[in-house]
Amino acid sequence: MRREPAGDVVRRTILKIPLTEMMTILKTWNFLSENQLQTVNFRQRKESLVQDLVLLCEENRASLNDAALLDIIYTQFHRHQKVWDVFQMSKGPGEDTDLFDMEQFKSSFKKILKRALKNVTVSFRDAEENAVWIRIAWGTQYRKPNQYKPAYVVYYSQTPYAFTSSSQLKSNLPLLGQALTIASKHHQIVKMDLRSRYLDSLKAIVFKQYNQIFETHNSTTPLQERSLGLDINMDSRIIHENKTEKERVQRVTQEIFGDYPQPRLEFAQYKLETKFKSDLNGGILAEREEPLRCLVKFSSPHLLEALKSLAPAGIADAPLSPLLTCIPNKGMNYFKIRDK
Amino acid sequence: MDSYDAPESTPRQCASSGLKDYFIGATPLQKRLESVRKQTSFIPTPPRRKIPQCSQLQEDVDPQKFAFLLHKQWTLYSLTPLYKFSYTNFKEYSKLLNAFIAAEKQKGLAVEVGDDFNIKVIFSTLLGMKGTQRDPEAFLVQILSKSQLPSEHREGKVLWTGWFCCIFGDSLLETVSEDFTCLPLFLANGAETNTAIIGTWFQKTFDCYFRPLAINAFNLSWMAAMWTACKMDHYMATTEFLWSVPCSPQSLDISYAIHPEDAKALWDSVHKTPGEVTQEEVDLFMDCLYSHFHRHFKIHLSATRLVRVSTSVASAHTDGKIKILCHKYLIGVLAYLTELAIFQIE
Repeated sequence: MRREPAGDVVRRTILKIPLTEMMTILKTWNFLSENQLQTVNFRQRKESLVQDLVLLCEENRASLNDAALLDIIYTQFHRHQKVWDVFQMSKGPGEDTDLFDMEQFKSSFKKILKRALKNVTVSFRDAEENAVWIRIAWGTQYRKPNQYKPAYVVYYSQTPYAFTSSSQLKSNLPLLGQALTIASKHHQIVKMDLRSRYLDSLKAIVFKQYNQIFETHNSTTPLQERSLGLDINMDSRIIHENKTEKERVQRVTQEIFGDYPQPRLEFAQYKLETKFKSDLNGGILAEREEPLRCLVKFSSPHLLEALKSLAPAGIADAPLSPLLTCIPNKGMNYFKIRDK
Repeated sequence: MDSYDAPESTPRQCASSGLKDYFIGATPLQKRLESVRKQTSFIPTPPRRKIPQCSQLQEDVDPQKFAFLLHKQWTLYSLTPLYKFSYTNFKEYSKLLNAFIAAEKQKGLAVEVGDDFNIKVIFSTLLGMKGTQRDPEAFLVQILSKSQLPSEHREGKVLWTGWFCCIFGDSLLETVSEDFTCLPLFLANGAETNTAIIGTWFQKTFDCYFRPLAINAFNLSWMAAMWTACKMDHYMATTEFLWSVPCSPQSLDISYAIHPEDAKALWDSVHKTPGEVTQEEVDLFMDCLYSHFHRHFKIHLSATRLVRVSTSVASAHTDGKIKILCHKYLIGVLAYLTELAIFQIE
């Protein structure tokens, strides 16, 4: 008996869902009715639960599109499992800014892909802020779409930005870019040097929303004299200068990074091609014309928060280098640096 | 022939010498550390090491023989001398160790996938894996899975490998009596559980003691400098450093890779004494890397923890892990590690 792709996708997706999220995701999907869900024992072992649910889905004749929707919802709940790239589109000079029509965009997008590949599954799910999540299962002229390595695109229709999950099938990227550009009535698309697992942080950076979050926070604790212990009784001038410097560092760091929580990125990468110049080690490589070719990568569970803590910890100077502090402003975490 | 240019060092007489003798007869590494601690310049000349020369393996040994040791990650341990160990008893040792492993696994102490496969233990000598003639022969222990089919007597897959060696171990060799075999450097590849079982057997059988060999930032810097100094026909890997930054609450790792030709150019510009590496040169080399980094990022790498260095010759991690990539300098790399192992034992 040949397994239908829809049933397969449903089964595989449900298997991925943690038991704690099962009810929430199924309700969001809204494909199985309340009554049907009530007939299922959600406390049984996962394998049996999945079997029961798949049976119900087959009863309802789940289509490939229904299955794809479930997959999109799962991905929305687990967006951190993907690494997201950012694309920026631009309109040509003098092009009209037509009123955006979501349905027209969707049908145009789908048409372009189908015309090029013949075998491709495209599914849409609307989201808040005029955004749409798109799932694309790639096939070729001769092969059916691979439902297990789909690409995801999140397009914010009121902006020129789209976020795509880094798909293994990189060869389809130009086509995807083309479809996005044409369907959204833009002229050009460019990949930004910005990548992260944290989609919401990428949004915050690209839409410049990160500095609008004013949380109630404790103002930076004034430096306690008591932490300097017995030194108070010694030369007070030394302590005073140190305190001044510490406060300066805090102030400068605050000015650069702001009071708000930083958007979350996991890394920043710098490709350096700069000459070696050092005042202390004069003469080293003095005659060398060629630059040093270096690749520097900063990694952290929360990069910007970690960078923010460096100067106050005495590990870095304040102000920190603009190469690091410009990351949210420029919306980049990949850089190529050359001597001017 | 001593590989260190340390005219002051005298051979250690005997392990029971007083504390004073301990430092007089110490290796350059120990002397250096001791002088740093005491803030004295105990050594009139700065400490130095010879740059590994290519292929210090003995002439009649085929370097391809050691190819299986390359490109593998080895976990390092120091090992105290083995009591009444004999190279002629390998068959016996194989049997005993085999039985011991089987017993341990039956006890349920080691739980592992593939435990129900039959295994075979093999001891073999690694001829030519030494620095001088005085160094004892290196040997290898391997656990292989036995083929399930009785008709086939083919060797199964290698599940675990451990080897014991001593490269230029003169300072240790002179301190022990004939009953002891000195192979202070132990390298293991394979499951931790197997390493533990085999370690236990050796400790019980030869009254020796294994200790994990960590590599601190000081030694990692030396390794980076020495390996960059090695002459290479072509580079197969980039030169890379990894630092761990002790900031809180989030951790931060900084990886700094430099094109190996550029690293070599930097080294050549720093290097003054032909054939040797001095402390000054190592410090200057690292300083240059730090200052180049600081110029761009305003971060003081010297305030962070160097955790890993990687070159075309070899890569080393502070947790005591090594991967050797170039057979030409295999002996040179092992010589340094032997020195670290001996230092840890003493």
